[in-house]
Amino acid sequence: MSPRRTDTGGRIDRLKTIRFSFDGVAYTGHAGDTLASALLAKGVTLFGRSFKYHRPRGLLTAGVEEPNALVTVLKGEVREPNIPATMVEIHDGLVAISQNRFPSLAWDIHAVNQLGGKILSAGFYYKTFMGPVIGPLKGTRFWMFCEHFIRRAAGLGSAGSAKDPAHYERMNAFCDVLVVGSGPAGLMAAKAAADQGARVMLADLEPRFGGSTNWSNETIDGAPAADWARRTVTQLEGRDNVRLLPRTTVWGYYDNNTLAALERVSDHKEQPAKGEPRHRYWAIRARSVVLATGAFERPLVFPGNDRPGVMLAHAAERYANEFGVLPGERIALFTNNDSAYRAAIALKKAGAAIVAIADVRSELSPEMRKLATEAEAEIFAGHAVVATEGGKALSGVKVQRFDMVTGALTGDERSIHADCLLMSGGWSPTIHLASQAGAKAEWNAARQAFLPPKPAQQWIGAGAFTGSFSTAEAIAEGRAAGLAAAGGTSTPAALPTVEAVHGDPDPAPVFEIRAKGKSFVDFQHDVTAEDVRLAHREGFVSVEHLKRYTTLGMATDQGKSSNVPGLAIMAEALGKPIPEVGTTRFRPPFAPVSIGSLAAERFGDLKPERLTPMHDWHVANGATMYSAGLWYRPMIYGLSGETIEQAYVREAKATRESAGIVDVSTLGKIAVQGPDAAAFLDRVYTNMFSTLAVGKARYGLMLREDGFAFDDGTTWRLGEQDFLMTTTTANAGKVMQHLEYFLDVIWPDLKVHVTSVTDEWAGAAIGGPKARQILAACVTGTAVDNATLPFMGIVHGQIAGVPVMICRLSFSGEMAFEVYSGAGHGIHVWEALIEAGKPFGLVAYGLEALGTMRIEKGHVTGAEIDGRTTARDLHLDWMLSKKKPFIGSAMMDREGLIASDRLELVGLIALDNRPLNGGAHIVEALDETNPHGSIGHITACCYSPALGKHIALALVQAGKARHGTRAHVSDPLRNRFGPVEIVSNHFYDPEGTRMHG
Amino acid sequence: MAERQSPLEPEFHVGSHGNFEHGVEILLTETRPGSIVQLAAWPGEEKKLIAAIRTVTGLALPDGAGGGSSDGVKSVFGFAPGKFTVADEAEGLAAAFAKAVTPAIGTVTDLSHGRTAIRIAGPKAEWVLAKFFAIDFALPAFPVGAGRSTAHHDVFAQIQRTGADQFDIYVFRSFARSFWKALCHASEEVGYEVQ
Repeated sequence: MSPRRTDTGGRIDRLKTIRFSFDGVAYTGHAGDTLASALLAKGVTLFGRSFKYHRPRGLLTAGVEEPNALVTVLKGEVREPNIPATMVEIHDGLVAISQNRFPSLAWDIHAVNQLGGKILSAGFYYKTFMGPVIGPLKGTRFWMFCEHFIRRAAGLGSAGSAKDPAHYERMNAFCDVLVVGSGPAGLMAAKAAADQGARVMLADLEPRFGGSTNWSNETIDGAPAADWARRTVTQLEGRDNVRLLPRTTVWGYYDNNTLAALERVSDHKEQPAKGEPRHRYWAIRARSVVLATGAFERPLVFPGNDRPGVMLAHAAERYANEFGVLPGERIALFTNNDSAYRAAIALKKAGAAIVAIADVRSELSPEMRKLATEAEAEIFAGHAVVATEGGKALSGVKVQRFDMVTGALTGDERSIHADCLLMSGGWSPTIHLASQAGAKAEWNAARQAFLPPKPAQQWIGAGAFTGSFSTAEAIAEGRAAGLAAAGGTSTPAALPTVEAVHGDPDPAPVFEIRAKGKSFVDFQHDVTAEDVRLAHREGFVSVEHLKRYTTLGMATDQGKSSNVPGLAIMAEALGKPIPEVGTTRFRPPFAPVSIGSLAAERFGDLKPERLTPMHDWHVANGATMYSAGLWYRPMIYGLSGETIEQAYVREAKATRESAGIVDVSTLGKIAVQGPDAAAFLDRVYTNMFSTLAVGKARYGLMLREDGFAFDDGTTWRLGEQDFLMTTTTANAGKVMQHLEYFLDVIWPDLKVHVTSVTDEWAGAAIGGPKARQILAACVTGTAVDNATLPFMGIVHGQIAGVPVMICRLSFSGEMAFEVYSGAGHGIHVWEALIEAGKPFGLVAYGLEALGTMRIEKGHVTGAEIDGRTTARDLHLDWMLSKKKPFIGSAMMDREGLIASDRLELVGLIALDNRPLNGGAHIVEALDETNPHGSIGHITACCYSPALGKHIALALVQAGKARHGTRAHVSDPLRNRFGPVEIVSNHFYDPEGTRMHG
Repeated sequence: MAERQSPLEPEFHVGSHGNFEHGVEILLTETRPGSIVQLAAWPGEEKKLIAAIRTVTGLALPDGAGGGSSDGVKSVFGFAPGKFTVADEAEGLAAAFAKAVTPAIGTVTDLSHGRTAIRIAGPKAEWVLAKFFAIDFALPAFPVGAGRSTAHHDVFAQIQRTGADQFDIYVFRSFARSFWKALCHASEEVGYEVQ
């Protein structure tokens, strides 16, 4: 390793030293370095091991398309694998390690895989381990055995299991013009659109805006191009109508011009600022988009093209000019186009020796010959590189005469001593977003590249993205695109003048040099040219199949550098032109996206949750809370040392003996208002509501349109045209949607408004023999005696000075009242009730006791109204009005819904005095070794303090006819078997004498 | 009468929070209006309802969906076709509307307890709200007085712009604490003050 930092140049801050580590070795770099440039500056050439063969790999690129130099970044216990070193900005304390190697990067025992090269060809794992179909291992789980080792040997970095403490955010943004890419085209587009007054967003995945101006040696308006870019960015920064997003990868282009982007907000910092997220996911709705995403340079496919030290030409130019780092001291180039000559000049100027330029073209333009001479390079026109030499670093290359028409190699090989080989196989416009936006890319024979399709959405392309590779073209197209995107008209204007090396943008149509040795097409997945031809020989003709069989173009780089060479080789094998072979459609994301940014902030402490007005009281008074949908409700108010069963038994018993109070604020509450409200409810419910008197409530049942039971609850008539409907907690949203659907779509003529008022009211249900006395002790402004407040009656009064509405109804089976107050007064009323109840032994009870009492009463909930039961199944057929039609009435009498063998609601009593389990099957004859013959299942169960038995509700075939008979529970999963008696679901006070008083 | 309890209380911490060393860019508070009322007109009766709103509140509603107005004490905005939210510092708005909005015009629903009004103000108000809602908060797209119906995760929200950099957000009371915590969290990076 020898230091390769140039004495001057680059856009790094040489005064600022950054300390970091790679594979446990301490290094220094400068502010503005990437991990790749900083390590390269220190002479590191070996960055990783390849996917399958564990070949040593160095840097191929300098940007997001890097396939080789993937590292794992460690932050405390958290590890993030597969990050291109080219995209990691160094900061003090950065810890990165290489991956896919053991025990070390330099000495990796899996490199032995290289010896099995021919065996490990495309489809190796499928062919080898999907069987074996013959031999002694046939029919064994040999594949499972091998899988463990294969997974260890092949692959990328491993993900960590530590919880990621980082903070991720989602942002929504709207703009007139989103410009993607901040090279000369993007900057001009942003400026032109901003000048029109448009709201502009400019996003670039790099930390520095300017794109190629950061590394080209060109001048714009007489100054270095980077200075022009800085000036333009400064102008944009000063404008209110422009938002600049550096380090932001626009990774998805969706319908209606919605784009997804990932901003790496604080990855480049040792510590994020307070409250600062790590990543931001931007959902951008843009009226118009300018795609100025540039182009990716392509590698050439030739033996040994993956050896560390072999790099793309523009990447080397970038390392030299942007980071002040030379990738080698003696550099050779291999190209099929003119752009590599510019790199040669840049590296020469930066201090490297350019030892040779091999160009597949035999005829070179005078301008290129002049550049080669300027670089003092020996020219090998009509030659190709046929081999590279060295181990973990390049020591030399071999060139041979090459006929680019026939592909034939002739003459003697010639060795050239070089520690770096730069290659350029032409350029592929970065059309990913345009492809995602919905159209097919078009092959351009001159550029030997897929160019962007005709826009299927509102976007305009500019610069290298369109195949216009010169800066002058980029500037002109960028301005025109920006104007058009902002709705302006293009007027003649003096554009910035560019001084640049001019070259022919069209490469020679050469993708591969066929010579002896492994020639890599997809560096990241170790796919060779021979693998592509093997796939062809094995019958894979579709490009989609080729991709899947060889894995070409998969993994984290998604074939940014390999797709076109792979297609070209496939096309040659098929004997078809490239456009006929076609290309795969690019899918989001353009580059890897953190899962955290997609999940953003709806988990943990920031998970949305619903709390009743009395929530804090419950917690302060020892309630164990559990979630019911998004709501939190008390399960029990356990005393010290109590089990859950002991607590709910105590609470239920106390309620039946004296009084209990439960928070019912979570019940769905819907205001149904308007002149047609009563008529609407007659249609919605199975029973009649238009006959309900003002000041009274009625229990109602709803069916779905298909005739099955949907929801139940009481509805209170507060005025002639004013009803308060209550629903089950779980179904509140569904019922609201159901009502809105019928009002909006089916019966728009009905004058009815429905409004969720669940949160308007706090509800406390107080029940038990002493409930009325407790109310009498604290309610003013109304009597609560039987005459004033009969069953299902409603009164208005006050408790502790605040208005309340009291309805006498019961879920527990006791004399009970629901006390509603404004939610803001909920805790005030609740505490007043608790205080008033103290002399009467009032207890607060939770959902377990509530459930116990409802099971004892045989009331149904969502466990029984499960979407498969009918009103008849639940013995609610008395609620099916024959005087009127209602939702579901037309379908509820279908043959299958009235069959005699349907599951019907029953009660069960455990005859072995042991607890029953929800979900357990009911069978007529017990067979523990071969459980079968289910006649139903348990829906809810408890220990009944009122009966002193373990009881359950169940749905059992022809259940009502089985009352008084015996059956068995069969619950093999929980190993619970035993006899039960089938009884009526009304276990407790079936006449309702306690409730009616 | 007893004071209404705020659902935010255990999480309502007056003072500066988050990254405020360089100044706060967000002010958060609960406006606690005495009345929040929802009004809904029958189809064709919208103009009469708008006239009733003017009679009761003195606020004139501009034409168009989502239009609204606020005088600092009373506020009104449309949140759906023919539907309006009206808030007043004083209690009793529902009773006043019950007289002005006849059954022939539409309905009045009192939501004074059921909704919690949270105000976010400051130069970064649009920035912080953009973390929650897919709504264009730029002034030209969302003028002062106007209202929007939207949702954050499962939390339905109505938002009225009551100043160039001030928004009042009406959320369901049961979700309010959860939403408030998320709002505080999202404001941390720019520094916020709870008033």
